[in-house]
Amino acid sequence: METGSRLEAKLVIRKTIPASAERLFQAWTEPEQLKQWWGPESVTCIEAEVDLRVGGCYRIGNRFADGSVLWISGKFEVIDAPHKLVYTWQIGTDSREELVSVSFRATTDGETEVMVVHERIPDTRTRDGHEQGWLGCLRKLNSYLT
Amino acid sequence: MLTRLARGPAMITELAEPFGMSLPAVSRHIRVLEGARLVHRTVEGRVHRCSLRAEPLTEAQRWLADYQDFWKATLESLAIHVRDHDRKRAH
Repeated sequence: METGSRLEAKLVIRKTIPASAERLFQAWTEPEQLKQWWGPESVTCIEAEVDLRVGGCYRIGNRFADGSVLWISGKFEVIDAPHKLVYTWQIGTDSREELVSVSFRATTDGETEVMVVHERIPDTRTRDGHEQGWLGCLRKLNSYLT
Repeated sequence: MLTRLARGPAMITELAEPFGMSLPAVSRHIRVLEGARLVHRTVEGRVHRCSLRAEPLTEAQRWLADYQDFWKATLESLAIHVRDHDRKRAH
């Protein structure tokens, strides 16, 4: 039998990037930099506001090829520069709050492992994801860029 | 239960059977799924029929439909950003 907790999903994504934790933390939290890199390539970050303190809010505007704009916003719960960030994550204004934790861990060879833990994801989204063919496009774009 | 509904709409009695659940218990469960906007219920007389909510997705919803791919692509963008930024500074 399914219960409330089964309607939520958790996701862990890791990537090692050749840059310092300080550098990556800065890219993740400074609005001017966020506008340059945030989101998949198919999306333009049109606005980024970051009030970097516990309880402070952030807001990121994402513009799509069809011109529509989606806002992602939330509040910072943990700020431990340059190691860790925890913030709530809300899409638009009427969806439930999700939770994102980002950690930056130096590896022995001078690189940094970025780990994103995304929790409280409503299962509807996971389910819908399997029905969509657009994901293939992003994968192609990724392999083209790397 | 959702797997069953993915095959098509079903009456509450049909949903209860494979789980060996009582009708009130299934009904409570369906209410949770309705609250999560996963299931839509129509009532015709005494027959409650349930179906999965399948609405057309906007481009934005499709983009976020699979966070795994979203975060992979986003971290890839971050890696490219710091690489290019640091290369520019080196010149």
